[in-house]
Amino acid sequence: MSVTTVQAETSQCLFEFLHMEIVSQLQQEAGPDKKGEVQQRLESLGHRVGESLVERTSRDHPRFKNELDAVVFMCKQFWVTAFNKNIDNLKTNHQDTYVLHDNAFRLLQHLSEGNQYREEAQTYLSFACGLLTGALSNVGIKCQVTAEVTKMPACTFQVKVLL
Amino acid sequence: MAAVCVAVISKQNFPLYLRSVNPQNEADLQFQYLVHASIDVVEEKVSTLGTPKAGQDPREHYLGLLYPSEQYKVYGYATNTRVKFILVVENTTSQSRDTEMKMLFKNLHVAYADMLCNPFYTPGQKITSRTFNNAVSSIFQMSKGFTSKE
Amino acid sequence: MSRQGRPQDTRKVSGELFSLTYGALVAQLVRDYEKDEEVNQQLDKMGYNIGVRLIEDFFARSQQGRCHDFAQAADVLTKVGFKMFLGVVPTVANWSAKGDEFSLILDQNPLVDFVELPETHQGLLYSNIICGVIRGALEMVQLEVKVWFVQDQLRGSDSTEIRVKFLKKLEDAVPAGED
Repeated sequence: MSVTTVQAETSQCLFEFLHMEIVSQLQQEAGPDKKGEVQQRLESLGHRVGESLVERTSRDHPRFKNELDAVVFMCKQFWVTAFNKNIDNLKTNHQDTYVLHDNAFRLLQHLSEGNQYREEAQTYLSFACGLLTGALSNVGIKCQVTAEVTKMPACTFQVKVLL
Repeated sequence: MAAVCVAVISKQNFPLYLRSVNPQNEADLQFQYLVHASIDVVEEKVSTLGTPKAGQDPREHYLGLLYPSEQYKVYGYATNTRVKFILVVENTTSQSRDTEMKMLFKNLHVAYADMLCNPFYTPGQKITSRTFNNAVSSIFQMSKGFTSKE
Repeated sequence: MSRQGRPQDTRKVSGELFSLTYGALVAQLVRDYEKDEEVNQQLDKMGYNIGVRLIEDFFARSQQGRCHDFAQAADVLTKVGFKMFLGVVPTVANWSAKGDEFSLILDQNPLVDFVELPETHQGLLYSNIICGVIRGALEMVQLEVKVWFVQDQLRGSDSTEIRVKFLKKLEDAVPAGED
């Protein structure tokens, strides 16, 4: 591995530790059965980060031709900056929905695989949902993002564009 | 071709930042007027990008000269995140200064993107960052350097 | 369009998610808590929890052996630990006469790259998580320490200085995580 890749991997690792601790603190503060609240707070954190991150990542990128162009950017350059890898698959109904598929979502990689942890894993997708809503809203695409674990550590993010 | 006013306009089209090189009451009002008037021109330019009507590469952020007035020329730049930058410069030459303007806008864009990364800045608020102010001061300085080349 | 990057560029880019997330966290805590001191404590606590886990990752990546003494720990902490995770090597300085206290002087702190503290929060120790991480990590190698900020460039000082004081050697038992 080159020096820069090693550094990138290590930074990712640092982020994962930070994220894990944030989730843990939020869960402790909220108490039991307050999963929705925790997820909302994670989304809101992610949203602010997404706004900043897209501003920097798109700075030298040519103007987006259209909405699809912007979403493709999120799947490639933006996701790479955030998680050191691309989104693996993008589908769209060419109306108002995009489905982003990540085969090996970083924040799920260290979680246990059994089905009983799927619910817990859901919380680990909230921050990334916020990243996407923040980034997309900052380029003028207001949307709602929901995420789902398909088969650990793969997941999908469904982006519904709001009018 | 010294820059005399720098403005940053939010995606909702209100000014987040407006600064003249020499803050004096009269000139200030005039720049405010110029900047406000130019927002409409920016909107129009952005909406016609990619059509035959547009005069430039739709992939570029730089929008070129928005309109000249007697004393000043107003240039525009629109980012992917719908933020607009306006630069007002002295109308001292009829020569095109696109290269220099692009450089100034690029610096402004870098400064803005960095400023947004300050976690204590809430997007949509007026910009009060010291670092950003310093970057704008450098832009005023840099543009003076262009004038001396004429 | 791919990013043209010098090695520094790529490092900055890849560390961005971490520092932006940390920033968003601090800003949120500042809104949640009334006093800066409370935020500082929360950051220290979170740092501790991260430190006790991070040390495992550190050993896995660095293949470092056990440190024989406090001075060696200081060396490894800066030249290996800080370098690995933050990409900077603080200077170790201002050793106490007894050899039980030293300072880490940071010329650069990647956590604060774009940060400007608001006027109303000058008591905030923005990077206090670092103190907690050091404390947590060293505890896992049986060194109980006290770690605190002496100076912070973000608050107008000339340099950023963190002080580490050795308190005692711990028995080989797993400490309970801080809640």
